[in-house]
Amino acid sequence: MFKCCLHSQLQFRSETSLESDHLMGSREPIVLIFLILISTYESSAKGGIAEELNEEFTEGLLLRPLPDRKVLAHFHFQSSVPPTRIYGRHHHLFPKSIYQLVNKFRVREMELSFTQGRWNYERWGGYDPISSSSAKPPGVELWADFDVPLDQVDDSWRNLTHALSGLFCASINFLEHSTSYSAPQWSFHSFAGKLRYGTLPREAVCTENLTPWLKLLPCRDKAGLSALMDRPSIYKGYYHSQRLHLTSDDFGTAKSNAGTMLEQTLTVVLQPNTLGARAMVSGKTLQPSWSLNSLFGRKVHGKCSVSKSSNVYVQFEQNLVSELKEVRKKSEAPESGILIHDDFGNNTIFEMSASPDRVVKEVENLQKEDSSILLEFLVEDYNDSKPFDLGLRWKLPVVWSCQQAPLHASRFLMGSGNERGAIAISLKSLSSNNTPTVGCCEKGSQLRINIFQVVPWYVKVYYHTLKVFIDGELQSTMENIEKIHISPSEDKVSPGVMEMILRLPCGVITAALTLEFDKGFLHIDEYPPDANQGFDIPSAVVSFTDFQASASFEDNLLNKLPILNELQERKHVISYTEVLLVPLTTPDFSMPYNVITITCTVFALYFGSLLNVLRRRVGEEERRLKSKAAKKKGPLTSLLSKLSAKLKGRPVEPPETPSTSPSLINNKLVLKVILVAGIAAGWQYYFR
Amino acid sequence: MIYPPPLNLVQFSFLAISEQYLSILTQTPIRLINYRFRYRSPPPFREIDDLSTAIESSPILFPCHFRAVFVNFDPNSYTADQLSISVQAHMAKFAAKNSPACGTCASNVTVSVTLDSNSNCISNGNNVDWKCGALNEFKFAEKHEDGLLDEDFASLLDNNSGAKVYTVVAVKTEQEEVRAVVGKYRHAWIMGRIFEEEAIEKIAEIFVNVFMNGGKEEGLIHGEFMPLGADGRIVLSFNLLNADPHNWIYDWDFQEIDENLLSPVIDALKPLADVSVESQVLYHTPKSSFSFWDDRLDSYIFSTKDLPFFVNSNEWHLDTSVAAGGLSKILQFVVYVPSAKECPLQLQLPNGEISTTNGFISPMWGGIVVWNPSACLTDSKIKHPLRYKISSEDSRKLFEVFMGQLRQLFGLKSDGLFVGASGTSILLASERGFSEWELDVLSRQHSCFNLLQCGTTLGSLSRLVQSLPRMIIMDDIGKQVKYSLEAARLTLSNALLGIYDASAGMFYSSAIWMDCN
Repeated sequence: MFKCCLHSQLQFRSETSLESDHLMGSREPIVLIFLILISTYESSAKGGIAEELNEEFTEGLLLRPLPDRKVLAHFHFQSSVPPTRIYGRHHHLFPKSIYQLVNKFRVREMELSFTQGRWNYERWGGYDPISSSSAKPPGVELWADFDVPLDQVDDSWRNLTHALSGLFCASINFLEHSTSYSAPQWSFHSFAGKLRYGTLPREAVCTENLTPWLKLLPCRDKAGLSALMDRPSIYKGYYHSQRLHLTSDDFGTAKSNAGTMLEQTLTVVLQPNTLGARAMVSGKTLQPSWSLNSLFGRKVHGKCSVSKSSNVYVQFEQNLVSELKEVRKKSEAPESGILIHDDFGNNTIFEMSASPDRVVKEVENLQKEDSSILLEFLVEDYNDSKPFDLGLRWKLPVVWSCQQAPLHASRFLMGSGNERGAIAISLKSLSSNNTPTVGCCEKGSQLRINIFQVVPWYVKVYYHTLKVFIDGELQSTMENIEKIHISPSEDKVSPGVMEMILRLPCGVITAALTLEFDKGFLHIDEYPPDANQGFDIPSAVVSFTDFQASASFEDNLLNKLPILNELQERKHVISYTEVLLVPLTTPDFSMPYNVITITCTVFALYFGSLLNVLRRRVGEEERRLKSKAAKKKGPLTSLLSKLSAKLKGRPVEPPETPSTSPSLINNKLVLKVILVAGIAAGWQYYFR
Repeated sequence: MIYPPPLNLVQFSFLAISEQYLSILTQTPIRLINYRFRYRSPPPFREIDDLSTAIESSPILFPCHFRAVFVNFDPNSYTADQLSISVQAHMAKFAAKNSPACGTCASNVTVSVTLDSNSNCISNGNNVDWKCGALNEFKFAEKHEDGLLDEDFASLLDNNSGAKVYTVVAVKTEQEEVRAVVGKYRHAWIMGRIFEEEAIEKIAEIFVNVFMNGGKEEGLIHGEFMPLGADGRIVLSFNLLNADPHNWIYDWDFQEIDENLLSPVIDALKPLADVSVESQVLYHTPKSSFSFWDDRLDSYIFSTKDLPFFVNSNEWHLDTSVAAGGLSKILQFVVYVPSAKECPLQLQLPNGEISTTNGFISPMWGGIVVWNPSACLTDSKIKHPLRYKISSEDSRKLFEVFMGQLRQLFGLKSDGLFVGASGTSILLASERGFSEWELDVLSRQHSCFNLLQCGTTLGSLSRLVQSLPRMIIMDDIGKQVKYSLEAARLTLSNALLGIYDASAGMFYSSAIWMDCN
């Protein structure tokens, strides 16, 4: 993967050091020269409006224990600025780079997410607002809606991808090719034709993407809640998703005063450190206890000085709350009081290291017996000498499950071989969960599901082979599809896009869609590095349009906090399917090399032997061999024979080799034995 | 399956042999392919070479027109022609002292002289439109304010012809003190009891050293390093850095500053550069080097030798701007608000004194000013940081320093005085930051260095292409080469005619360079 490193600082540093000499030489600027006319103070007229509308920055952290002994941490930062026509273009809090980006490319709405790991919908929930908004497909996902004429949208998109790629040190610029992005018509988000959507499933996410993301916060990770982001801790987790969501109404005719809003969230799923064996109480394992310090290795030393609010929330989900009640009933004498009025700092089931400043209860819905609870902690009162470290310790074992999406969506490949296959999207109802069927049946007998899928051009999907199976039986396609929009892929130009609204009968247990495809061939230049790994088909987006993933809280909140607003925002329940890995027929990249090697070897052998045959003179060689054999004797024996000849006064006789050889062999043998013994001794000594 | 490369030496040599054979076998097709892919649009080598030699052989000098007006001098002692010749002689003497720099005037300057005494005017030129006897009603004995006098002269010398004529008016009065002032427009005046010889020398000096060379001295930034992008754009990025927001948070009303203080300067620079302004406030931005406490000065001292380590590029996210794409130049201006631990922070000059502006510049990068908050000395054991706003009075002072820094970055003087061989002249500062003659100097230099750079770029491009005959030159690059060649030629001919505002279009050459790379 291409990873850029734009460091203007480096460049700048060299400049500074270069020119330092110049500085020394030059005179200190003694200036103060001109009187600049102060024009009449005119801003008093608009001062009235400007005072009401101001830049704001808020930070928040939501912690939620998950059923599978993990903890979800959801950081939420929001910067907002009033519209330019009222407020002007100079800012005090809002990041300059983002403002310029919005204005240059006229971005109306944009979302960029970097994700590592896959959100486990079954265990971590699929119905709540966080899973709908912050569970993202692996890699990079970017969508943007522009406020430009239709014919300029693609250019804006291309420029935006390059700008973001530089800003976030990622290979987002690969999304500029028309093969890698698509223009969903209605299913993804309802913007008419000016929305572009692209994903890079294989993008690796690391600190180099987080650092520029943090740079957009006024306090970066120097103060406030973001100081918790200890890199090893947050990248150690099971799921990591950093998201940037931008809305702007600076353009267009809308006279709203919402201005530009930048929402940055970081969602991590962490495993608390459980030292040693799991604690057991009455045969059941306890949920792990955790604290901010044990999760992140850091504590919060006060809030970011420029943020308007800085709160930490601990959320107990609806199912957990009802479970807590059950446990409580069993362990104590039954009480009629609800948990809300209990002491949250210390009760029989769990203990918190700090008592909450406020308890926010979700307003009960008709279908829900119990509702989730938010415990609010204000960070403002803490400082360096008294850092904030929230801890949760379980005293009794609790088992619960998360609220599930109406149907669990998964996608897989069928078929074998490198020629053709099929994509299947399966939707399964989870039997343990009865909420969706209830919701569905009240609405009517139909369950509407929106599916949006982008397939790269080299996977040639035959859309006419679309089959719908409900509860294992093949159904007529047209009856179950309410609306469908397909733009088939064009080779090397555009990917295939399928958007559809599926209508399923109420009480459906399983539903499946299959689509057959042929695998295309790529030009040798188009293969990515490591083509044998396979090619990724981006996640499909499955949204349940009949279900709203929103929690509404008691409306006694005087000041609406952005993090709670995010939870309350009315959004469809959305889930992303897995990324598919399609093995394509890859050419044998080493083939040319092998051919060259083999050809060369054959050539070399041929020419070598030919040369040999041509050059060789048989008679001469035989004569040489003979003389060589005559001369061939040991240096020691020849020396000895010479010596004896001298002593005897006779000319040197060629001695019979066999007679001397035994002693030589003996010598050699002794030498060898000594050598081996020495090596063995050395070995022993060395490895002791 | 990928086979490992052969380590066997023998195999290697076989490979080499066989490759030779292969190339013998396939030589013809390879050659053919090579010829087919030769550059599609060969750049006009000869024209480029001609241009680059023409530019490099002699510095580009612009024709300049000067005018000297002698008021109340004795008309009988010198004739206008004599005066003109003598001024030119002195100018040549002054010009010889410093080698002809890029962007100065050609040696064959024209000096027209007008002698105005008692409403009798004698001129040696024919296009002199000095209103004869205009200064007759003028009360020289009274003390006049320079600014008002400047406006008076401007209305007197107002010529509608559009030609840029630099004028020095020498007025003989009864005042003992001789006062030389260079105005905001294209004129200067000398007043006082002055003799002809003295006046001639002073006039020549003002012509050469001020109007031609911009009053430059040693140690100022050379014209070659003018902070101007090749496309003529500058982004002025103003940053307010709060070193530690736990102590205090300062904010500014940049909107007001932009509207009231910066916009006149931007308007003034319009003929030279397209200036855009942006601002941001950053927090948690400590400087990267330490300062020490000085009891005598009662403040923290940061010495000059540590200045290169003042800028903390790890924490100061000054950010390159989206607005400054490609070839634009960004100048960073930083207001540094020190934390309570290092407040008040003073910059110390090499001679041990404290800097009056408390700021410094880094050429081609920008300027930094340390601004000590007034709440500095009071004990700040506040739990929550207080938010302040830099008062408009303070921000005006800050921006005066910044304007001085900007002038310095452009290589102009910022102290308003010109010390020459024949005495000191006052340079009147324009409320727009740059006076007209200064802008003339800057645009002359800019076009000159741009042309030089264009010549070298095109020359080296043509040399490169000629030395690598297999290099492919795409059509659009070839087109750009032609454009920039045209633009360079046009600029060169315009420069010889004295039109040096129209020097845009130079940026093509740099663009080509980048494309080729």
